[in-house]
Amino acid sequence: MTALGELRALGTGQRRHAIDSDTRDNRAAAGFLAPWLIGLLLITIGPMIASLYLAFTDYNLLENPRFIGTDNITQMLSDERLASSLGVTFTYVLVSLPIQLAVALALAVVLDRGLRGLAFYRSALYLPSLLGSSVAIAVLWRLVFGKEGLFNAFLGIFGIEGPSWVASPDTALGTIMALNVWTFGAPMVIFLAGLRQIPRQYYEASATDGAGKWRQFRSITLPLLSPIIFFNLVLGVIGSFQSFTQAFIVSGGTGGPADSTLFFSLYLYQEAFASFRMGYASALAWLLLLIIGASTAIMFWTSKWWVFYNE
Amino acid sequence: MNRRMYAGSAALAAAALIGCGVSPSDSGDIELSDEPVTITLNWWGADSRTQRTLEAIELFESEHPDITVEAQHSDWSGYWDRLATTTASGDAPDVSQFDQLYLASYANRGSLLDLDTLSEFLDTSALPDGLRGSGEVDGTLYAVPVGGTPNGVLINKSIFDEYGVEVPDLDTWTWEDFDTAAQRISEASDGEVRGVGPFGGDSFTLTVWARQHGEELFDETGDVVIDPSVVASYWQKALDWIDSGAGLSAEQLSEETGVPLEQGSMATGGIAMGFSPGAMYTVHAAAMPDSELLIADWPTDSATDEGFQYLKPTMYWAVSSGTEHPAEAGALIDFLINDERVARIFGTDRGVPGNPAAQEAIADDLSPADRTTLDFTASITERIGDAPAITPNGASDIETIQSRYFERVLFGELTPEEGAKQFLDEIQSGIDAAR
Repeated sequence: MTALGELRALGTGQRRHAIDSDTRDNRAAAGFLAPWLIGLLLITIGPMIASLYLAFTDYNLLENPRFIGTDNITQMLSDERLASSLGVTFTYVLVSLPIQLAVALALAVVLDRGLRGLAFYRSALYLPSLLGSSVAIAVLWRLVFGKEGLFNAFLGIFGIEGPSWVASPDTALGTIMALNVWTFGAPMVIFLAGLRQIPRQYYEASATDGAGKWRQFRSITLPLLSPIIFFNLVLGVIGSFQSFTQAFIVSGGTGGPADSTLFFSLYLYQEAFASFRMGYASALAWLLLLIIGASTAIMFWTSKWWVFYNE
Repeated sequence: MNRRMYAGSAALAAAALIGCGVSPSDSGDIELSDEPVTITLNWWGADSRTQRTLEAIELFESEHPDITVEAQHSDWSGYWDRLATTTASGDAPDVSQFDQLYLASYANRGSLLDLDTLSEFLDTSALPDGLRGSGEVDGTLYAVPVGGTPNGVLINKSIFDEYGVEVPDLDTWTWEDFDTAAQRISEASDGEVRGVGPFGGDSFTLTVWARQHGEELFDETGDVVIDPSVVASYWQKALDWIDSGAGLSAEQLSEETGVPLEQGSMATGGIAMGFSPGAMYTVHAAAMPDSELLIADWPTDSATDEGFQYLKPTMYWAVSSGTEHPAEAGALIDFLINDERVARIFGTDRGVPGNPAAQEAIADDLSPADRTTLDFTASITERIGDAPAITPNGASDIETIQSRYFERVLFGELTPEEGAKQFLDEIQSGIDAAR
């Protein structure tokens, strides 16, 4: 029952009955929500509040936290490794995410043509998304892009002797980006579902008017798919900023070679558990939350110019 | 996708919520309980160590029917994360295997029990004084060293033979002999095999290098005292090997970071010589059964200080200050270090045991590889110098920092001198911050 309906009910004989049924509904709702709410409070909100407090302390895990005001924030300003980890993370998000989404969209459009055996291709292409963030694949990646790895064996066919891609500071981040692009399956499946929602008549009508495939893609597919693109973009940005496993495994937990794969979350982890600076790490965690929040807000703000809701 | 972040922040915060749990228990009136108790024993290591340790636990339980020992084990990298979080939540294992990197960090923060309060149950008198002292922080015994190992050079003689290069006289070799031999291997094999492997990223070789030049990393008060030029010369050595072709390339070196020993360049026959803790000889020998593997003391120069070698404690046993059963914990450690049957079960898996009685107990039925390790350690022990100060509180991440700066030097981002200076500054500021 809407708020307006409730106001109306107040003035009529339905009042008592309405409140009774509302209370019952509310109780049932609370009952069904409880498992989620308790989880949210205990596992998310509570710890977040605690970490907000820790962000203003010097805490080494073994002794009680000591309140130090804004010292952690001051320290961030002159922290060179923080700056370099932000550089790495932003490069990763800005380069690998657009490529991943472009690949996902391109394949979704191809698959949407109604290929024979679509179900098979869809599953096969989705597979990397299931595996991509696993430890096993990250370990495999190290082997594929190592000096003696599969990738160099492939280059060897053309007589090219490749370097060790994971071990050079110039290319290590690239291999992790490639791993991320490779997990294009998840956004692809969402794009496919979105493409199915676009009425076929639009294509038929435009074809009659003489529009080519590219023109159709630009003027029909893209605008009608823009809410889906937006959705994938927001999810992708949030996920990529927090990326941890791949960098951790590929670099053996160091962020190396020479900090070239020191992702923000990896740096946060090192500060917390290798250097016992949990207070500073908590402050970093909040910085990450602010960055992700701001990025998301900016995307929502820009969406009114490019996301087209067909209403 | 969000789950990872939740898990991260949850871990941070769970640690925070319950973070105030560390309180040293009263040390008066420690006695064995009349009731059955359960204590936890926590260690890192490979499968073979797990099997051996479980066997020792079974033996202990059969002699102490009232004590149940619960085993916890993991690999090295996850071990310290978990110990930190369980300690923060007041749920630390009663007895934990320890490394000297972390000993002072935990002891100075009140997380470990003063073991002299357990002297009734835990007898450490069999350990040589020099070794026992390596478990002390500021004069208090917080951990019992299990054994010690010197650093040595592993030599794959089969590779030397294959390429017709003569192995230098290992008793008298100089750094020049070493460099020449390494370069010959690389040349004779056309770069297929390199003369020498990783050197520059671990604090053990850095310490031995420093001691060869009359320096120490830290002093007794826990400050960095090494001259940056010595660290620079140590890294310059690695760069020289790369330039001359004697050593693995920068990329090959960086590729080895975090790779298990069995897959490292030594074990896979990619290098002819490699620096290694003596205790790792057995693991290598097992990983390369078709090669003849030698181990020797470091090369020296005429200017090299005597007594540069020392026995680095391979690991320790320590008791959490939050334990509810200190007496039982003490009895367990006593059993692990003093019982000869345990010594035979462990062999040299945790390094050559520091307890002479245990060394004797295992001497008879040693495998050839264990025999070599034992002999090497014994021969070095005759000419070791004073033990260096242990890694101070606030510097337990020295190896991560060291390998980070070493990589920057390797890839030419910093000169060895710049790298050395920044590396030592960062260590010192970590120590200052922990005070």
